[in-house]
Amino acid sequence: MSAIKALNPKAEVARAQAALAVNISAARGLQDVLRSNLGPKGTMKMLVSGSGEIKLTKDGNVLLNEMQIQHPTASLIAKVATAQDDITGDGTTSNVLIIGELLKQADLYVSEGLHPRIIAEGFEAAKEKALAVLEDMKVTREMDRETLINVARTSLRTKVHAELADLLTEAVVDAVLAIAKPNEPIDLYMVEIMEMKHKTDCDTQLIRGLVLDHGARHPDMKKRVEDAYVLTCNVSLEYEKTEVNSGFFYKSADEREKLVSAERKFIEERVRKIVALKKKVCPNGDKGFVVINQKGIDPFSLDALAKEGIVALRRAKRRNMERLTLACGGIAMNSVEDLTPECLGQAGLVYEYTLGEEKYTFVEKCGNPRSVTLLLKGPNKHTLTQIKDAVRDGLRAVKNAIEDGSVVSGAGAFEVAVADALVKHKPNVKGRAQLGVQAFADALLVIPKVLAQNSGYDPQETLLKLQTEYKESGQLVGVDLSTGEPMVAGEAGVWDNYSVKKQLLHSCTVIASNILLVDEIMRAGMSSLRV
Amino acid sequence: MSSLCREVVTLQLGHYSNFVGTHWWNLQDASLSYDPESPPCEVQSDVVFREGQTLGGHVTYTPRLIAMDLKGSLRTLRQQGSLYESGKDTSAVTWEGSVMMHEESPPVKNSFLEDLDKLDGEILAEADFSPQPQCLAGSVNVDTVNNHLARIQKSYRLEGSVKVWSDFLRIHLHPRTISVVHPDGVSNRLEAFGQGDSLLQGSVLEELEDKLHFFVEECDYLQGFQVLCDLADGFAGLGSKVTEMLHDSYSGRGILTFGLAPVSHPDSTPVKDLYHLLNCTLGTVHMANHSSFFCPLTLRGGLGRRPSSPSAFPHLCYDPSLWYHSSSVLALALDAITVAYRLRNNSIPMWQMADTLAVSGRKVVTAYGAVPFPMMHGTSLPDALSACADALPWRPLSACPEAGDGRCYGQWATLKGFEGQKLISSLASGTKAPTPLHSLHSGEDILASYIRSFYPSAPLALQLVSAPSKLTPPFPQIFSQSLDAQGFLQSQPPPPGFPPPVVSSLPVMTSLQSGPALDPWLSELHRGASAFDIRRVAPSFLSQGPEVADYQEALEQLRLLAWCYRDDSCGVMRSSSEEDDDD
Repeated sequence: MSAIKALNPKAEVARAQAALAVNISAARGLQDVLRSNLGPKGTMKMLVSGSGEIKLTKDGNVLLNEMQIQHPTASLIAKVATAQDDITGDGTTSNVLIIGELLKQADLYVSEGLHPRIIAEGFEAAKEKALAVLEDMKVTREMDRETLINVARTSLRTKVHAELADLLTEAVVDAVLAIAKPNEPIDLYMVEIMEMKHKTDCDTQLIRGLVLDHGARHPDMKKRVEDAYVLTCNVSLEYEKTEVNSGFFYKSADEREKLVSAERKFIEERVRKIVALKKKVCPNGDKGFVVINQKGIDPFSLDALAKEGIVALRRAKRRNMERLTLACGGIAMNSVEDLTPECLGQAGLVYEYTLGEEKYTFVEKCGNPRSVTLLLKGPNKHTLTQIKDAVRDGLRAVKNAIEDGSVVSGAGAFEVAVADALVKHKPNVKGRAQLGVQAFADALLVIPKVLAQNSGYDPQETLLKLQTEYKESGQLVGVDLSTGEPMVAGEAGVWDNYSVKKQLLHSCTVIASNILLVDEIMRAGMSSLRV
Repeated sequence: MSSLCREVVTLQLGHYSNFVGTHWWNLQDASLSYDPESPPCEVQSDVVFREGQTLGGHVTYTPRLIAMDLKGSLRTLRQQGSLYESGKDTSAVTWEGSVMMHEESPPVKNSFLEDLDKLDGEILAEADFSPQPQCLAGSVNVDTVNNHLARIQKSYRLEGSVKVWSDFLRIHLHPRTISVVHPDGVSNRLEAFGQGDSLLQGSVLEELEDKLHFFVEECDYLQGFQVLCDLADGFAGLGSKVTEMLHDSYSGRGILTFGLAPVSHPDSTPVKDLYHLLNCTLGTVHMANHSSFFCPLTLRGGLGRRPSSPSAFPHLCYDPSLWYHSSSVLALALDAITVAYRLRNNSIPMWQMADTLAVSGRKVVTAYGAVPFPMMHGTSLPDALSACADALPWRPLSACPEAGDGRCYGQWATLKGFEGQKLISSLASGTKAPTPLHSLHSGEDILASYIRSFYPSAPLALQLVSAPSKLTPPFPQIFSQSLDAQGFLQSQPPPPGFPPPVVSSLPVMTSLQSGPALDPWLSELHRGASAFDIRRVAPSFLSQGPEVADYQEALEQLRLLAWCYRDDSCGVMRSSSEEDDDD
């Protein structure tokens, strides 16, 4: 009888074996849901809501977010897995699979009377060893474009079909390479992802510059400007209510009118300053001049600018202002008082593209853009969302690879090698904790097994082939998903992120040990407002 | 400047706000005129609606609206809407391997939505080039859903079947309108202020910025934002952040915020009631801070934990616990309150309205409404007003009863819908006027002199609009039998046995006030929240912020806010009145 029962007869309690059984079944349930996702041959999931909303995904992270997980243990695991995605951008599915498998292996020993604490110790020892193996196995080399393409392809092929994946791969790698600066962390924020709903097209383009999703709001402004100066500014060019209008400062309607027209003049003065700069930098009108303003520009000001042949865009997004100056150069101006030609950026081509009611302005052919745009095209929203998710993951994979400076063999090769090393390492561990190490080694093998299974091969047979091949050749072999035979992962260009694997080993061990050590679950009345 | 269209962007945050908003948009849609021959109506619909174009080249007319709600609150409505959809496309073009379908069974549509679908379909069949009812394509397609619905005049009795606001949404929304938020945690609820407050970051913020950008960028003369926000749940926190963001990014624009609270929440518990009180308190402080003015709107008797009975209107019989009903009353009032800045001619911009009401830090205003405005059929305005010479016809809409001592710092009254009735008394010259009201020569003067008899010294701004709020299905028929089809009082109720007439339009009078009555109201809120130790009674309320220090600070601000309304100078305060600063 649990103590809480004496205090609260309504409390539900599960202890020891029963508690473990509850937790393990939750972990296995989650594992079953995500199992079929893993790898390039996994199953795509299409979720159709009652109102016909479609969600298309194969990403474990997205799926976990979509599912309304009720079970507290399952939601705990889901949180860890999604945290993995937040940190490294990949590995959600593997995470859930390995946690489930660790618990399954542990359950075998626990049912034979081994104390969970000892298994947890074994897990800990195994993790240390596995991390050491990871350090040995990682391939440190210069991250040239080819390696990065391999890394990105490995990630993207599990999200979209091969042809599209190859297209995305190039775009993603070039995007990151464009914004990467030596010895500085990569800010993926500088890669803008722009969606465009297009009836027939389904592709992705890298724009070395910026795409803004609005256009000039004046019929006389040019739709296409070549070789243009770009002025980025945050200056209001519209008549708006200011303090003078608010009652305290005028006595009669006449006086107020005067203040209003004075303010109008104020705005006109600003426009004149911009026009003056334009006349200064392009005296004979052979170069274009584009103003991109974060604040508004009213029709009067637009008119005045259009007359001078200036193309003006208003209300640019705040986050695009920084990107603009990085893409075209120049400085974002907060006032027109000290405008000089040095503040201006340059773009080889600025043009507008209209699609239905949406307008896009492309700022392209910038000299040395340090901010670029990935333009996604797709026939409908759910396709776009899915490509966007994939691109995000691809970007993260490339960023990780550059920052790690190293990669790890994929396709299950890493897991096979670690499992082998752990079995060899077992005698060095004292006592019954050896069993925990064994469990850990067996659990890791779930990755190659599921990869094979999802491609339609016999998991055991494939695994045995891999292990034999690995022992004989000593090379890092993974599953070739088109044949089911072993292949040398590195030669086939299947590379995973080092940081993803490292994070995976850490979080799986911690969470599996924690769940294993739970020996009492209770649910007592207190209806907390938030779980 | 009157011919300019000064655009307004509307934001609806929270489920109850969307209830009110949906009724409000239905009212707007009902008064749209598709007939090119008819004279343009007083209200300029372009202020709140925008014209767009689908990928297929069809013209659309949709609200300039951003609506945020929780997952699961859309039911039959698709987030993207169906207007811009190019047919159902369930192909997975991005994947060649196997695809697993998980299909949820579609929820049952109520009779109204079924009819709406049918009408949509019919019009589609009739006119190929205009696939949607909201089309203005060449104005040829005058046969709209509105006409159909008006012809059917069927009362749907949706009381039992309305679960969420999309169940009675008549218009199509732009695909960028709806934004579904997922609060983290398993519960999919937004209960506490801090929870909503912390929601607006990362991708949620980016999405909102994108949506705002879309609607704002195309406006030539944006005058501001009207924000409808739930006050009692976590959306109050979200609203505070949203108004703060608007305040920062669009300085100089009007931000009129309405804090909405239903009369009751389903399955409420004492802890939840406490949460509601705290949310109201924090929401009022923060939203008042960042808005041009903040107006709580609710039919509740009070925002405290044990409110008195909800506002009762003499000619309405509504069910206060039904969101579908209470939100419709608030929507009618809101239609009148917001009309000033939506007029085609002589419109008063938002900021001017705010300047009139919110003077020297008194950013909170209270609303009162006569729904309907009691007016006998075939009489004149002086007659109607002298019938209620003893007491003002309006009831509190902000849970704040009038002080009754005639003191007020500023008032904005709107009378909407006297169409067909006489504004001034038509006495033959020479006859003695029965009351002074009958001898005045303009509607404005009559109303002003009437209100001045209650508020002798208060600065007063007036707005008279002749067009009434048009009620078409699915507006609930919540009217007493004493009203006729135009919403005017009948001299005698219809004989028993006759069905009561279906009310198809309604005159409404509203008043926004900033007065000393707000001092006890705000103090009450302050007392309610500071009466207990929050760390002991509701520790989880602060678990996602705000910090205890910030919470104390907010309470202090509330106290100061209440202080602003304390009357030391007998109510004669400097305030700009409406007449002389007509824009």
